[in-house]
Amino acid sequence: MDLRLPSKVLEHILSFVDSNEDRNSVSLVCKSWFETERRTRKRVIVRNCYAVTPEAVARRFPEMRSLTLKGKPHFADYNLVPDGWGGYAWPWIEAMAEKCPSLEELRLKRMVVTDECLEKIAASFKDFKVLVLTSCEGFSTDGLAAIAVACSNLRELELRECIVEDLGGDWLSYFPETLTSLVSLDFSCLDSEVKLSDLERLVSRSPNLKSLKLNRAVSLDALGSLLRLAPQLVELGTGSFSDKLDQEAVSKLSQAFSEMKELKSLSGLWDVLPEYIPLLYSVCPGLTSLNLSYATVQMPDLLELLTRCSNLQKLWVMDLIEDKGLEVVASSCKELRELRVFPSGAEGLNDTNVAMTEQGLVSVSEGCPNLESVLYFCVQFTNAAMVTIARNRPNLKCFRLCVMEPFAPDHKTQKPLDEGFKAIVERCKDLQRLSVSGLLTDKAFEYIGTHGKKLRMLSIAFAGDSDLMLHHLLSGCESLNKLEIRDCPFGDTALVANAAKLETMRSLWMSSCCVSFGACKLLSQKMPKLNVEVIDEHPLETRPDSSPVERIYIYRTLAGPRLDMPEFVWTIQKNPEIGVSHLAIK
Amino acid sequence: MENSNSYSPYSSSSVDSTKPSPSESSVNLSLSLTFPSTSSQRETSQDWPPIKPRLRDTLKSLRLRLRQRGYNTALFVKVYMEGVPIGRKLDLSTFSGYKSLLENLSHMFDTSVICGTRDRKHHVLTYQDKDGDWMMVGDIPWDMFLETVRRLKITRPERC
Repeated sequence: MDLRLPSKVLEHILSFVDSNEDRNSVSLVCKSWFETERRTRKRVIVRNCYAVTPEAVARRFPEMRSLTLKGKPHFADYNLVPDGWGGYAWPWIEAMAEKCPSLEELRLKRMVVTDECLEKIAASFKDFKVLVLTSCEGFSTDGLAAIAVACSNLRELELRECIVEDLGGDWLSYFPETLTSLVSLDFSCLDSEVKLSDLERLVSRSPNLKSLKLNRAVSLDALGSLLRLAPQLVELGTGSFSDKLDQEAVSKLSQAFSEMKELKSLSGLWDVLPEYIPLLYSVCPGLTSLNLSYATVQMPDLLELLTRCSNLQKLWVMDLIEDKGLEVVASSCKELRELRVFPSGAEGLNDTNVAMTEQGLVSVSEGCPNLESVLYFCVQFTNAAMVTIARNRPNLKCFRLCVMEPFAPDHKTQKPLDEGFKAIVERCKDLQRLSVSGLLTDKAFEYIGTHGKKLRMLSIAFAGDSDLMLHHLLSGCESLNKLEIRDCPFGDTALVANAAKLETMRSLWMSSCCVSFGACKLLSQKMPKLNVEVIDEHPLETRPDSSPVERIYIYRTLAGPRLDMPEFVWTIQKNPEIGVSHLAIK
Repeated sequence: MENSNSYSPYSSSSVDSTKPSPSESSVNLSLSLTFPSTSSQRETSQDWPPIKPRLRDTLKSLRLRLRQRGYNTALFVKVYMEGVPIGRKLDLSTFSGYKSLLENLSHMFDTSVICGTRDRKHHVLTYQDKDGDWMMVGDIPWDMFLETVRRLKITRPERC
């Protein structure tokens, strides 16, 4: 009896399967399911652009409409990956232009995107709708103009924290009068002033505009007229909030805000003057997301704002909020899911003027039952606080604690923070992402290895006694997908002993650790399905096997060694004649 | 642990293989990044604490803007005497200008500290700016100095 479903039926069934994780499982069932799935997948996500070739992806998914790519490792966000390392978008755009000209959406993260890339997109994809660039660089505002002028069905253009060569604000003027499809526009990372009249006309002819994030150069006055043109906005990123306005302008702006019944997300607020905070009161009750990381709001002005945000789910704020402010969050924002607190003392200096301690986070963990994601920068912390937080919030999925003073112990007991992190991994059984810091011994990593079974991403800095710590992690954390380590004395033994583990992970980053050149060679030889990249400013050819390398980036790949490596990136394929490692690994 | 590698942060004399005590936490963190950055926007060599460049740039001038508005914010910088691994901490917002800074430093380190070029006789004050470069103290107006200074170093008199 032939039990095979006709492919049309299977196609119909698969049209209800949306998640790529499920689709990946579907494709493993049998050949015909693999074929049907691949021919119907519209949204493709490649989380490491070097894990697979663009041609292979285009070949497998010919009906692709949306492509998401990630390039550089996460630590590139913090200046740890030198310029020129890689992550070029061009080969992907070129391949898609040829093989998938119906591509409509491109989302790139941490990639090098040139003006040439943007021009190619504009010229090749006739129905291009969505361009979202996150932490990308390499292009100028000329490239944006090319997109603006050519993509007649453009829906989303978002530049999130990109580094753009800003040649002026003209690019905005290139959106044709016929473009009326805009849903989302984010140019908050640009510096130059755009022409207000062009922006106003663009907004007026975009009835579907839901998200508008302005750059700092857009004045408060201009904001008023824009809001009156787009009261339907769901997401707003203001420009500078510090011009001196006369009474009439202030009341008009207040009126404009009160008309915004759909607003859910607010950001921007650069340089906000305390006297303008009340302008925001009318939208606060509707807000689910508030990003104050660029806002110069301090206590007590912050308090007034926060008490009104009873529906807030996501709050990003600076430590100017202090413990007092976080107590108010705990009592007013009962729906809170995600909290990020950034350091106003960016140099990591021990500033005793900011009254924010571990207590602030403890308060929020007590008051907010849905809290599941935390990023907290603090000068010092205590084990007791972490134990309390873990007890209060076993539902935590993401816990990133950055104790800014490297090697800082529990400031009350002077002990390492091992017990605190133990409580976190033990109690929070669904924890997927963890960043550790402060004074930590082997024990902390033993606990993480023992309990962190669902942990997918782990970040470690300035920690450690010995290699044993790395061994605990690699052998214990079953779900580990991404591991990034800096300035820890982890080295060869654990790495080589757990080499097979690396093939089950997306990537491993280690910088300023104790990994020797010999170990890198050995790993490269043992594990052909990994790219073992040594990133080192100094030439490696004459390096003795025992000497440490500056950074390593190891990732699994089907594509083999990449062809776009700069001089300072070494893989064994560059110098196969260097030969077998002479390092004796115990 | 290899000692031959001069660019390992662990070869610094202030850190040994056991945990350094908290007071020794003045490890030179900029050793972690040895590449000169070619990107003009990523001018700083700072890679700790881990915050994104755009936010870092904003925070740098935040302090100054708040001070200009009359908020009482401190401006702590670390001060090192050349050759001494452990530094001191100083709140620059408490000084009115270069003169009071030098007076205070001279008192703190129990020696006369001046601005000016290095010579064989004097302790000279230098500073690291937001681009990571070491500069002579005193060249720019005080307010500008406050915005760009990241740390201070007092150089020892040059020997022959």
